[in-house]
Amino acid sequence: MNIVLALGLAFLSGYLVVSAEWQGEKANKSERWMKLFISAGFGIGIFSIAFFVERWLGIVHILATDLCLIALLLAVYLTTRARRKSESVPASKFADVKLPNWLHRLLMASFGISILAALYATVLRALAHPHGDGWDAFAIWNLRARFLFLGGSHWRDGLSTLIPWSHPDYPPLIPGAIAHVWSYIGHDDPIVPAIISLVFTFATLGLLVSSLAVLRGITSAALAGIALASTPFFIEQGASQYADIPLSFFFLAAIALLHLFQQRSAQVPDGSPTGLFVLAGAALGFAAWTKNEGLLFLFAFLVSQIAAVPSRRRPPTNEPGLNAGRKLVILLMATTPFLLLSLGFKHFIAPSGDLFSGPEAMLHKILTPGRYWAILRWYGKDFLRFGNWVVPTTVLFVALSFLSPSSGIRRPNPAFRSSVLTLALTLCGYFAVYVITPNDLYWHLRFSLNRLFLQLWPTVIFLFFLSLSRQTSTESQSESNSGPNTYKPVKNFVSPT
Amino acid sequence: MHLPQRTVSASPRMKCAILFFTICCLLSTIRILREAPNPAHITPDDVSKKSDQRFAVVKSRLPANGVIGYIGEGGNSSTPDYYLTQYALAPLVLDRSPHHAIVIGNFLLSRPSDLPPNLRLVEDFGSGVLLFAGEDTK
Repeated sequence: MNIVLALGLAFLSGYLVVSAEWQGEKANKSERWMKLFISAGFGIGIFSIAFFVERWLGIVHILATDLCLIALLLAVYLTTRARRKSESVPASKFADVKLPNWLHRLLMASFGISILAALYATVLRALAHPHGDGWDAFAIWNLRARFLFLGGSHWRDGLSTLIPWSHPDYPPLIPGAIAHVWSYIGHDDPIVPAIISLVFTFATLGLLVSSLAVLRGITSAALAGIALASTPFFIEQGASQYADIPLSFFFLAAIALLHLFQQRSAQVPDGSPTGLFVLAGAALGFAAWTKNEGLLFLFAFLVSQIAAVPSRRRPPTNEPGLNAGRKLVILLMATTPFLLLSLGFKHFIAPSGDLFSGPEAMLHKILTPGRYWAILRWYGKDFLRFGNWVVPTTVLFVALSFLSPSSGIRRPNPAFRSSVLTLALTLCGYFAVYVITPNDLYWHLRFSLNRLFLQLWPTVIFLFFLSLSRQTSTESQSESNSGPNTYKPVKNFVSPT
Repeated sequence: MHLPQRTVSASPRMKCAILFFTICCLLSTIRILREAPNPAHITPDDVSKKSDQRFAVVKSRLPANGVIGYIGEGGNSSTPDYYLTQYALAPLVLDRSPHHAIVIGNFLLSRPSDLPPNLRLVEDFGSGVLLFAGEDTK
């Protein structure tokens, strides 16, 4: 019962934050689902930060503090709701792909099968490996949670450098959330990390499907859901209790919210839905609180927004919304609390990381061309195999891209451009870390590159199906305009950008 | 009010592509199902739980927190054994060194033949769990 109370309060805190910032009382079903999935991840993030701060400040009355936090969030939610205007949610201006009935049914059946298979396999894996499938689960995350829960005022001992390979500089989103729920049930039950792992796995899947259903339509959403649910490595990691799937959730949330913001900015006549951008910033902050790679992603996202400033000081007249400078300010305001918390953790609490060696050794590695070639080869190999697929979905994506030619006329919208730039910068950052790693390069690549790719995989699927339905719309438009049964309304669906 | 989603018909080429994509993905779904544990024969991997049970008695004899020493068997299992012990004894920190006032020995497979000379056996808790006193502490 207490576990339900704890997880319920976590979800409620996430829901209050998300609902306070997310305009649109009359959202459609897909958007409501998207809200719920984001709330689940945000709630766990808030619960983690709350427990960590309580431990840091030495607060022992956890439930009372949590109830105060919920009351505060409720007050914020009610205040914003009272000010909010009731507004309709405009449809996506991009057309979804319409399939013949037989193919639509086949697609939906395949979607259902792949989701059920994913659920079945993940739950069985969690039952078979209740302490996580792999060493990182209890050597890093669950061990840290034990120190937070059992350590009392000595919780910082869990960050001791005497415990080898435990990466004490990793941020504590997962350990904090686990320890918080344990404090409700009174003992360190292994079911808690297993549940949190499953929540993030299916929230990621749900967020991918619901966000594409909102932005494009059910066909794109179902295809994306099939692509992710049929990635064996995603399912394997989903039950492993590692932090890579939660991180992928926050990456996807940030990018999906950015696109929803972009779409609403262009469609809401009386101003920009800045709350969505604030939530995108919060997702970045939670990512930075999950793993060091999240901090890299946050900076990549910021750089991609800064890159948009010089070219887009003013939005085009046909695209109402915030200018890029103001967006950047909002993003900085949203991410600053998380950045301060992360930097505070790294500066005042955690020891320094283990990825940086002395300047001479690093310089030697930077000047060794063989390392670059080795990393590139592993990038190429893992592009084909990281998902452990039968037929690599990455190759299928490339094939699908060729099958649906781009119009060659329109440029992608700013959100898409900045998202691709963010992913590219993140991949470059991963590359740079491998170049300077003090560990054996091949060992490091072998045991981490597939997980780094997996962190970005849900976002890549999201962006791929966003771009594919744009291309399909354009292709169908040109075909239908030249045919006898011209589908006229298509003309209005194409983005002005 | 929510306005309905607009749609455009997929071209024949796109229909074939969607069909091919879906079939290829479902092949991986079959792999997921084949690699899933058999529900009729699930034996939970409770290595961590067993480790907690092994060290439960000695944990009650140790200080609540702080740093103690650790020695264990060599070979491939030495690192996993260390982490399992560390997990079981948290919030104590285990330093992989015999140079502490209190040292835990973890010898599940065989008793140690040559112990560090500074260690004196205090108690054998069975199942390879030994408690030592270190005579030249850090």
